[in-house]
Amino acid sequence: MSTAQWLLMFHITAAFFLVGGSIAAGVLNVLSQRAARPSETALFLRLIRTVLPVIAIGSIGTLVFGLWLVHELHFDFWSFWILAAIVLWLLAGALGGAGGKHQERARVLAERLAAQGDTPDDELRTILRDPRGNAMSWLAGLATLLLLVDMIWKPGA
Amino acid sequence: MTLLGYSRPFWPLFLHVLGAMTLVGAMLAVFVLTIAAWKRPEVAVLRRAAFRTLLILAIPAWIVMRVGAQLIYSKEFGSGGHDPDWVGIGFIVADAGLLVLLVTSGVAFWWERAGSTIAGRVVGALTGIYLVMLAFAWLAMSGKWS
Repeated sequence: MSTAQWLLMFHITAAFFLVGGSIAAGVLNVLSQRAARPSETALFLRLIRTVLPVIAIGSIGTLVFGLWLVHELHFDFWSFWILAAIVLWLLAGALGGAGGKHQERARVLAERLAAQGDTPDDELRTILRDPRGNAMSWLAGLATLLLLVDMIWKPGA
Repeated sequence: MTLLGYSRPFWPLFLHVLGAMTLVGAMLAVFVLTIAAWKRPEVAVLRRAAFRTLLILAIPAWIVMRVGAQLIYSKEFGSGGHDPDWVGIGFIVADAGLLVLLVTSGVAFWWERAGSTIAGRVVGALTGIYLVMLAFAWLAMSGKWS
């Protein structure tokens, strides 16, 4: 295998970590919103934390091995598809982080409610259904999807 | 230039990759749920979530991944010649993986209905094995092993 093939293998492996981890986090987030009791909501939101290292490794790996590939294959760094990928990568990270803070706020409240009788609560329901907080996570997912489209389509290459 | 997928048809490759990554994400979610249920077997919502994730996300993702794979194969390798090893590895993992996925879903159904601890552990083990198989396939296919 050539150096470029090794780099591509690691780049794609990182992409599987990033997208797979994000999908797993999305599944657990949806489950937390549909849970009947605060203790269940808190449990699903806690489980999201276990996939965060997978997303982090994928996020850093895609960027490092992607830029290394650009250098190795002598691609034009200023090509539209490469710049678009970097912008989408930054967007996905920023939006995902903001969505994560919203989930953390919901988890803290859910933990407290679970310890105080574990009955359904309007405040928790409002946070879980907050359109702005949820939009951050969904837009992070959309940015990740567009990143995948960009990597396969390579507009302007 | 073909290394990075230039001049390859967009939709079949996109569907194949998106399906594969969604399948990995679904199986990772199921794995996390089974590990959590291992520690807290009394929480029924974990069993239900694992089974529904397999049914609603993992199986449809497998179908999208496999249809994309077949479309790419028809366009690029369908002439009847000898296929590269990485193509064979991809097909073996995809087709054997369906069997693992269906058995896992069946055991997860039993786990959801009966709440058997053994069933939960079998689902966790099968999910872990399938994740390793999927990792082997994406390494072989992205590295173009021959």
